[in-house]
Parts: sequence; structure tokens; C-alpha cells
Amino acid sequence: VTNGPILVVDDDPNILDVVSELLDMEGYRVATAANGAEALRFVEEQRPSLVLLDMRMPVLDGWGFAKELKARGMHLPILVMTAAQNARLWAEEIGAQGYVAKPFEVPALLDAVEKLRAN
Amino acid sequence: VDPETGLSADQFLNYLTQATFFAVFLLTAWAAVRVPRRARINTALFFGVLAFIIAMQWLTAAIHLPANPLFGALTGGLLMTMPYLMLRLVDDFSGVPPRVMAAGAGGMIVSIALVAALPLWPSDAPVRFPITVLLVLYFVVLSGYVAVQLVLGSRRASGVTRRRLQAAAAGCALLALVLLLILPSTLLPALRPVWMVASRLVGLASGLAFFIAFAPPPILRRAWQEPELRAFLGRAARLPRLSSTEAIVWEITRGVSASLGAPAATVGLWDQDDQLMRYAPLDPEGAWTDAPAHLYLAGRAFSTQRALLSDNAERDDPESADVYRAAGTRAVLAAPITAGSERLGVLVAYAPHPPIFADDDLVLIQLLADQAAVILESRKLIDDAARVRAREEVTRLRDDFLSSAAHDLKTPLTTLLAQAQLMERKAERDPTAPADARGIKRLVVETRRLNGLVLELLDAARAEHGRILGLLELTDLVALANKVAARLTTDRHPIRVAGDSRAVAEVDSMRIDQVLSNLIENAAKYSPDGGEVEVRVWQEDSRVSFSVTDRGIGIPAADLAHVFDRFHRGTNVDDRQFAGMGLGLYICRAIVDAHHGEIAVASTRGVAGGGAEGGAGASDNGTTFTVTLPLSQPPGDLDTLSSLK
Repeated sequence: VTNGPILVVDDDPNILDVVSELLDMEGYRVATAANGAEALRFVEEQRPSLVLLDMRMPVLDGWGFAKELKARGMHLPILVMTAAQNARLWAEEIGAQGYVAKPFEVPALLDAVEKLRAN
Repeated sequence: VDPETGLSADQFLNYLTQATFFAVFLLTAWAAVRVPRRARINTALFFGVLAFIIAMQWLTAAIHLPANPLFGALTGGLLMTMPYLMLRLVDDFSGVPPRVMAAGAGGMIVSIALVAALPLWPSDAPVRFPITVLLVLYFVVLSGYVAVQLVLGSRRASGVTRRRLQAAAAGCALLALVLLLILPSTLLPALRPVWMVASRLVGLASGLAFFIAFAPPPILRRAWQEPELRAFLGRAARLPRLSSTEAIVWEITRGVSASLGAPAATVGLWDQDDQLMRYAPLDPEGAWTDAPAHLYLAGRAFSTQRALLSDNAERDDPESADVYRAAGTRAVLAAPITAGSERLGVLVAYAPHPPIFADDDLVLIQLLADQAAVILESRKLIDDAARVRAREEVTRLRDDFLSSAAHDLKTPLTTLLAQAQLMERKAERDPTAPADARGIKRLVVETRRLNGLVLELLDAARAEHGRILGLLELTDLVALANKVAARLTTDRHPIRVAGDSRAVAEVDSMRIDQVLSNLIENAAKYSPDGGEVEVRVWQEDSRVSFSVTDRGIGIPAADLAHVFDRFHRGTNVDDRQFAGMGLGLYICRAIVDAHHGEIAVASTRGVAGGGAEGGAGASDNGTTFTVTLPLSQPPGDLDTLSSLK
């Protein structure tokens, strides 16, 4: 467990803004990326303590990002956040530690983040 | 004359003919004793008469009896029964009117009487000649009639039955010829040996023809069945791929009736759910008929799962006797169509005359039924596979629709819920903090976005139910275009309206406004580097058209065919850059369709210099959507559509 920032990855700029503001208010350090490729560029420079990952994104989606991480031998805790019905299945597919289904309740998101950070 | 044996050619032929007839008699008699059927008994009787005459000749020759007028009369009388016996055989085989049968019987009695009376006159009495001519004429006319009937019957028949009828016709004609040959021999006694040899040859041929017609050896039957069977089996492999089960069944029945030489055949398909046998019609235009499983001889073959042959359907199945009588069916051949343990149905061949089927046809129809089972079973598998594929396709499309719609709706909802809860938390922590203007603005924007998506979905749903049009009214599309252009024009995407000055058509003006707005918004959306959008409106004959042209990124050729599909987004379109569910053009097309109009798209994409990405070649690209509408709508539509408003 590092003290790195929480990386929020989502292609919707509004969601990105709201989620970062929420985490910021709770005292977390936050970084953002609009897709999997941007997120990969970020993790090459700094090691985030947690990744909040949307699945369906242009350029490089959630699956592609997770695969690239594995290929590079990086093990980061991931919390999947997706609007898809099979959120749990997708989270299992990419070996994520947890998931929240969009639209999520803010306390549920914060609980999940806190739990994963504590581990 | 052979010097060794002293046997003349005439005598040799005589013995050969006699031996042939005698052998045929023994064969047919044995068959009649084994399974006594009317046709077999008649056949045995026919050859029996001949054999009896021959045996008598041998007997008189062996014991050196002097020529006895009584014997002559007996032989002649028996000979005169032959045309009538022939008539009976033909009746068995293809039916003879009762009046003709009665005439034949009467003729036989008269001619036997005449033959018996003939020795009463002295051998040189002038009256003998006309009587002889009369008798020969009776014989020849009746044989000729029978031969013609058989030829006509053979034209209607097919396969093995056709060949048998032809052989029987040949036999009759040859027998008549034998009698005809006797006439010149009595007129020209000098040439008697020539006529005798000729008549013996013809007689031999006639006997052989009768033999293969009425008692064909199984090997010959099989040889005759083979070409039809081969043709059917050749087609069989392709049958499961025919368009419908009806077409397959029709081909099977055709092949079966040809192979068996039966005038008609049908297939009963077993309906497991309704516990009914569905019988195919005898002609392809007819209707299928349902019957309980046990009904008819066919039902018996199905219930017992054994092939059966009945040469008297009315006797063997009294319950359905009137059905057989009405259809003129005498003989029935049926076999179950069963694949493994699955009972698929029954195969039936009908004939109006029993001798058309033989016992070994039981084996043949069972083989044909097994072949039919293979064909129908493959058909079922093909159908099942297609059904599974279709179901998967529907499921996949529904999943796409639902997951796509759900995803698109949940995205703004996520922002709304998170933003509202964020502001709630902020307010709880610091009630005196100033209002979060940015957050409130985001709530408004995202709610509008959500509203747009919901409207889009509702329109798509309405379009699917064909209820997209409201009130139809005469609308000037030029004025409408100017109104929409004024609303949507921007500095980056100025809109120019061109074309006619007035173009009035009967439309739902709100919906046409929606189509035009959508096309203009698309034009602006897909021209990220800015550029003029041109709207043209014109009237041509009885149609009004408008087009929207941009100089944007264009549409790849591969996408052109799909732009009006539900949820289709261009492959060169970044999802994020151009928000929307991909339902816009789908709804546009539905609106235009509902107006009985047409919508078309044409697009060019510059290939040089990076085109869309670089922006340098932007002017090479461009898309034009053209909508054409009729001036007025059919009156029927107007009522229903207006009433829906």
C-alpha cells in the first residue's frame, strides 16, 4: 500500500469532475484520466494507491487497461465503476478488487474506496 | 428341317411356344395358390386355358387319336374364352366398363356355341367361311379393344406400372395377330406352312408379353423400378434444403408414386402436440387434412410400425370404406416413416387396381419411407438450427438495444445523483457556505441531456409502433426551413437556405421540423472545423424535397448503408466527441417513412492529405441528406393519424 493518489478513469468529464471533487472533499489525493491509454501514461510516472475504472471507454477500454497493467507486471487495486448490468462479472473478468454500479450512491462509493485503501 | 431329328422349324417353334405357355401357367398357378388374389387367379385361369389346350394336343398326339371333331370343338370353344379372360385381366389392371364386360361375356357364349355348331356342317359348306370370319373378328376386335385400353392406361401410369400395361397391350395385339394370321392360311392353303411359322412366332411373343405383364418376375419389376428410384434418390440429398416442408413432402410423394408406379401417394406427418396425423394433399395446391392416428390403413401402418399391403382397402378397413370408394382406391401400400425411435409419420401409395402392387413392393415402400425419414429428419435439424440462430440474433439485438440505452441513460444519471449528494454533503458540513453555482449548472445541463435521451428513446419506441405522426397540415417547407435555420445558425456553422421560394406539402410540421433540425445538427456536429451548412428546398412534379449539405468529415462508404440503423454510429466517430444515442437518423427515417417519403444519403471522403484528421482536406469531404415527400398523404392515413394526435 502506497500513499499514491487515487486515479479516476472515466470518459465522461462530468463524472470525472464530480467523483474527484467528492474524493477531494474526503481528503484523498486524486488524479484523473479520460481513458485507458491516459491512465497507463499516468501509472508509468506515479503509482496510484487505487484505480477507479470505467469499463466502456474510447481509445483504450477498461479491459485493455487491465491487460496492459498485467503485461507490465503491475499490481494495482482496481475498483470498477460501470453502468453495465454485468458490472460484477466484468470486475471478476479483469481481476478487480471491487465494483460499484452506476449510478452509485455516494456513501457506497466512499465505503468501497475506504475499504480498498485500508487493505 | 433338321436331318438328324426330323424336326421342322415349324414343329420346333410349336413346341417352344407350347412349352413357354405351359411354364408360364405353372408359375402363375403356383403364385395363385400361394396367395390367392383375384388378379392372380385370373392370370392363372388365362394361361390355364392355353395350357389345357396344349396338354390336350400332346395327349391326342401321344396316344395317336384320330382327328376327333369333338376335340376340335372343345379346343375351339376354350380358345374362344380367351378374349373374355383377357378382358377380366385388364379389368383387374386398369378397369373396364361393366357394359363392355357384359358384351365380352355374351360374345364368348355366342362364339363357343358357334364353334360347337361348326362341325355340324360339312367341311366344304359355304356357311363355314363367314362363321369363321365372324369368330376371328370377335376375337380380334375384343383383343384390339383391350390393347387400346391398355395403351391408354399406360399413358396415365408411370414407372413399373406403365411398362406392365405396355407389355399387356403388346400381348393382346399379338394374340389378335395370331388369329388374323389364321385367315390367310385358310384362304391360301398353299402358303400354309409360312403362315403357321409366322403365327407360332407371334404366339410365342404374345405369351411372353402376357407373362411379363401379369406375372413379372421380381427381378424384372426391380429393373423397371430402378430408373425412377435412382432419380428419386438422386434428388433426395437436396430435398431437406427446399424452402418449405410442404415442398419437400410434395417431392417425396412424387418420387414414391413414380418408383412404385402408383397413380397417387401421400405423406402423413405426425403432430405429436395435437396427436393428429396431417396428410399432404394429392396435388400441390390442395389443403392438408387431419386425421386421428389410428384412422385409415395408413394409420394402421403407423400404429403397428409395420409396412402393409392391402389389395382390397374396403374389405380390410371397413371403417373407412366409403372414403376409399369415393377416392376410387382399391389397393393401399403404406409404411411408417420413423427415424430411430422418433415416429415422424407414414408414407402411403394408392392404386385403383390391386395388381399394380406386388408383395415385394412392401420392402420397397419401407425403404422409401426410411429415405423419407432421413429427409424429414434433416429438414427438422436444419429448421431447429435456424430457429436457434434466429433466437440468438433477437437476444443479441435486444441486449444491444437495452444495454446501449441503459448505458446512455445511466451516464447522466450518475452525474446527477453524485452531484446532488455531493452538494448535500457540502451543505451538511457547512450550512453557511455559498451556493455551489458550478454544481447547480452541472445539474441543469445533465438533466437536459437526460431529457433529450429520454425523448429520443420514446420517439424510437413510437417509430417502432408506427405511431410517430400527429396532425397533418399543409406546410410551406421553405418557411419551415428558414425558421429552423434561424434557430440553429451559429458563427461556426452558418446555415444558408436555397432553392424554390415556396413548397407546400401536407406534413406533420413538428416532425418535419425535427427531421430538418436533426440533419442540420448532425451537419454541424460532424463539421468540427466549422463550415457552412446548406439547406435546399424544391418542388418537382408532385413531390417536395429538401436537402442538407455539409463540408464535414464525411461518412465512410462502409457506414453509408447503416446510417439509418438503430444505434449505429459512424466508425470514424468518437463516441465522446459526439454525444447521442445513435437513434437520431433512425427516427428521421421513421418520420419520413410515415409520410410515404424517402430519405437518402450521399457522402464523399477526401483521401488525400489526412482528410478529416488534419483538416487540410476538409473541403473535399461532405455529406448530403435528401428527403423527398409527396405533396399530400392518402386520405385513409389522414384520419387514423389525425385521430392519434
